[in-house]
Amino acid sequence: MTQARKKTTQPPQTPEDESGLDRRSFLKGAAAAGAATAAAMAAATKVARGAEARAPKAEGEANARGDSFIARPGSDFMLDVIRTLNIDYFASNPASSFRSLHESIVNYGGNKKPEFLTCMHEESSVAIAHGYAKAAGKPMGVLCHGSVGLQHAAMAVYNAWADRVPVMMFAGNGMDANKRRPGVEWTHCVQDPAGLVRDFIKWDDQPASLQHFAESTVRAYKMAMSPPQEPVLITLDIDLQEEAIEGKVSIPKFSLAAPPQADERALRDAAKMLVAAQNPVIVADRCARSQEGVEALVKLAESLQAPVICTGNRMNMPSAHYLNQSENRPGLIRNADVILMLEVQDPWGTLHGMGDPWKDVRRAAKPDVKVIQISLADFMMKSNYQDFQRFCPADLAVSGDAQTSLAPLTAAVKREMSSTRAAELAGKADGLKKRHQDMQERMKTAAALGWDASPVSTARLSVELWNAVKNENYCLAVSDRIAWPKRLWRTTQFTNMMGGSGAAGVGYSSPGAVGVALANRDKGILTVTLQPDGDMCYAPGVLWTAAHHKIPLLWVMYNNRGYVQEVMHLQRMAGLHRRDPKTAKVGTMIYDPEVDFAKLAQSFGVWGEGPISDPSKVGPALERALKVVKGGSPALVDVVCQLR
Amino acid sequence: MRRLAVALAAILCAVLVANAALAQDAPKGSAERGKKLFVDLNCYSCHGTHAQGGGRNSEPPIPLGYPFAGFLNQMRKPRLDMPAYEEKLVSAQEAADLFAYFSSIKAAPAAKDIPQLRN
Repeated sequence: MTQARKKTTQPPQTPEDESGLDRRSFLKGAAAAGAATAAAMAAATKVARGAEARAPKAEGEANARGDSFIARPGSDFMLDVIRTLNIDYFASNPASSFRSLHESIVNYGGNKKPEFLTCMHEESSVAIAHGYAKAAGKPMGVLCHGSVGLQHAAMAVYNAWADRVPVMMFAGNGMDANKRRPGVEWTHCVQDPAGLVRDFIKWDDQPASLQHFAESTVRAYKMAMSPPQEPVLITLDIDLQEEAIEGKVSIPKFSLAAPPQADERALRDAAKMLVAAQNPVIVADRCARSQEGVEALVKLAESLQAPVICTGNRMNMPSAHYLNQSENRPGLIRNADVILMLEVQDPWGTLHGMGDPWKDVRRAAKPDVKVIQISLADFMMKSNYQDFQRFCPADLAVSGDAQTSLAPLTAAVKREMSSTRAAELAGKADGLKKRHQDMQERMKTAAALGWDASPVSTARLSVELWNAVKNENYCLAVSDRIAWPKRLWRTTQFTNMMGGSGAAGVGYSSPGAVGVALANRDKGILTVTLQPDGDMCYAPGVLWTAAHHKIPLLWVMYNNRGYVQEVMHLQRMAGLHRRDPKTAKVGTMIYDPEVDFAKLAQSFGVWGEGPISDPSKVGPALERALKVVKGGSPALVDVVCQLR
Repeated sequence: MRRLAVALAAILCAVLVANAALAQDAPKGSAERGKKLFVDLNCYSCHGTHAQGGGRNSEPPIPLGYPFAGFLNQMRKPRLDMPAYEEKLVSAQEAADLFAYFSSIKAAPAAKDIPQLRN
């Protein structure tokens, strides 16, 4: 839907001419929220000619209006609203249903704050926004068609929702059937755009006026940012964007809600249980949202001398801290008498395993282990999609934002702690330090297996990349596709590792990493990612987006030439069915021909090298690529790897 | 790591309980044929081409230097999630070839001797 609608037959006049309001002055005023409100109101009171530009004409009526300009389109006001929310970027594949807002962004707004990021797939747009929000700590905007665009975007929205990440979605749509052009515009309009994604967003609205838009957009942003953070969706009516601002409109004052802290009495009860425990264990999932959360968790763990298991969805606990004992998980869970779960997505799965294919339940914890859950899961649970996991009873269930509740919980622990108990706990530190050291040595020994193998082992790949970035302020943009970095890399900052997709929807890794890298570019953090080949093949156009917008990111291909988890599933099925396991490659492997990812990158304007199968050549190639990235451009190194 | 530990324990257990018929010495096999089979049968998808295991917990390494009897028992009647490889799919000779390949794999260098792993 890219055909233009002609509305003018005369050379366009400047907005200043039309409205009588100096545009530069207006923009300056719009930078501050309060001033923006005043400016927008002033502009909005100007009644522009062409206000009925999209009004349907009677049959035979002349449709050419020589003076038909729109001095102050509604989309300008929409942009004023968006700017008060401090949104820096809009990721989008262009589409006619939001052409007016698009034009407002690039001309009226000067394509700055927000800047339009050209994307080649709506799934990429949302995944970029998803990764960006985790690294930047605030949402990005996404623009898409309300119909076909949102359909493309849907899986990525689900990923972001499952990962508890805010995204500001805007979907273009034509609500008034009387004004839709025949043909494609009808095909691209939808009665209820948000219906497609309503199961996995927090809130949506379809504003019918500019004032309605302003209030709903500010509300949406506030809701998206309030934990549990989730995507939100505002439908952009075509006519509302394109018709002139009429009447008085204003932008509501914006403020974020304080995150919900857990009840003090419940935290006191939790503290009593933890202080009395002989073997308390902390499991941290999507707990930290920032470095503040990391530091708060360290203080809690130290106050209890409690080992911490990080699931990998967020960087909750520095890896070098002796209480980060994530790789000792089985023994810790087995011996725990109290387990504190912090925003754990799957409490039942923390206490149990299940065999495949016989579904035999394997209890991983003591039958009488006491479970404390601090989570906001109950506040985002919906019926249709089963992200909420199997029900797990808790001895103490506490509703509250984990990060916000850590400091008061630590304070409660200290209040409950006698000096005798504190001395007892302090005596555990040496043993815990020894176990941490043993854990790290065990991981190194495991990483050495197959060290010189070709194709390159995933451990070797991870270690070579670590050696290339260890002296930098680094970020591993997607840190869950290979387990070795979590085991072997030294993490100190929340931004060191950004977790994964959320819902394991394939296609997140590459665009998600671009979003992370974009946020990090503005902070001076070097961003790298271990990129699965199957994921890259979903929407490789994001390479171009990174090249075009000069987003410095190093993709290191974890190229195992297949969807290998599915190979293993097919093997298992063949074994069960007493049939040939050799056919497990059919439909699962990506070769014949093999994809040349270096050439793919180069074709999109990204520096590329590879394929590399010799492990001794990985390190030097990474050094060459990092020079490019440090120069401000993206680069890709294709490493052919062992399958897992 | 829990699965890895359980898998290793299962393999060791399999070695101990292997019946007398399986406790024979390994038949003569071809490491070259075994290497090819290892790929054709997709064994390497979990265990890696050098039997080093995978990067996740469900892909255990194959300990080098353990007896043929245990190896064969795990292949025919596997513990945990590994699929079974019956004789109609992997003959006794092919099993011997696979074992010959494992036996030919050189031990990995010690972690302390790898510069990249020292920090």
